[in-house]
Amino acid sequence: MEFTLVAAAALGAAAAYVMLWWEARHGNADRCAGNIWEAGLVAVVVGIFAGRIVAMLIDGVNPVAHPGDVLLVRGGISTVAASLSAVLTYLWIGRREPIAMADGIAAAALAGLAGWHAGCVFRDGACLGTASELPWALAQPSSMVTRHPVELYAAAALLIVAAALAAWKAYGRPPPGVPASAALLTAGTVRLATEPLRPSLTGGPIWWYALAAAVGLIGLIAFTVRAHGAR
Amino acid sequence: MRAPLLVVMLGLSLAAAACSTEPSASVPAPAPDPITTEEMTALLETSSEPVVLNVWASWCIPCRSEAPMLSRAAATFEDRVRFVGLNVRDGSGDAGAFIAEFFPEAPIEQYADASGAIPIDLGGNRGVPLTYFYAPGGELRHLHRGVIDERTLALQIDELLAG
Repeated sequence: MEFTLVAAAALGAAAAYVMLWWEARHGNADRCAGNIWEAGLVAVVVGIFAGRIVAMLIDGVNPVAHPGDVLLVRGGISTVAASLSAVLTYLWIGRREPIAMADGIAAAALAGLAGWHAGCVFRDGACLGTASELPWALAQPSSMVTRHPVELYAAAALLIVAAALAAWKAYGRPPPGVPASAALLTAGTVRLATEPLRPSLTGGPIWWYALAAAVGLIGLIAFTVRAHGAR
Repeated sequence: MRAPLLVVMLGLSLAAAACSTEPSASVPAPAPDPITTEEMTALLETSSEPVVLNVWASWCIPCRSEAPMLSRAAATFEDRVRFVGLNVRDGSGDAGAFIAEFFPEAPIEQYADASGAIPIDLGGNRGVPLTYFYAPGGELRHLHRGVIDERTLALQIDELLAG
């Protein structure tokens, strides 16, 4: 794993940690706050390994015959396998209080994703997407083609929603399940909205981002309705 | 409390990865043609299409990691971008086996440089993989050191096609 990826991961982890630290002082997930950070780390590690192994299998590289390749994260990670594995691992660890655990990490997960996207600044050109002539478009060194700083769009959107979600949890006390659903909806929507601006050979797993957004929206509605019904 | 779980997960992953077996035998492709720096430079300068030049070796693990993606990219941009592979410091048999495994149908011209001097002459270094991006006429637009990811490859190809 090269330095720029480590730096981006560290920025993401730091953002998530700061958010959890702030939330812990404002009543976040009173019963399970101590486990959220550790569970999140385990989930991320499992997600990266699973995503990398699946990507290798898709590319026709046998992970058993070539074990060293598993560490070459830059070589590709299956987004679907990685995120599914991470979510399932996290929920399995927090299976005694899955909704509280999911709500507990909702804002921190968005902040962590924002930090990960913002980590593009550590490498020339990594923030840039499709060509654009907007005033804030940027060009990579030695290029005349200005481009959308698409990773910074994603980082900003995720960070704004993360902050709003944390404030809502601290001062508004949303119904159980709603913060996690809102976070899933946000993550899926931001990725869906920014994907067309990313240079890609394959177009990215658009259907997967749409599914995440849809599940988040359904969860948001269902948990809200359930909370109103219980009153 | 969760630390043991992390250890178990990592242990299982490493154990699975450590159970190495020999890769399945594949039919070697013809070894890539030897090429000199002058011939490579001429190839780049006379190309009417942008050129993506990937430097690889069969013993290079990151090269194996990026090879399937390069193969897909070469097929995707077959009509607009010329993909060239340069095998360095390798045996012809190993190189042929690598091509048969990862580039069996890919529209990538493959050449060999046993000394490994060409990448250095072109502004790179002895490390592999390297990926050079040339505009038509042979102007070097970008040199990527190390394994390349899909986004960077797509971005640099887009830069080449933008002119």
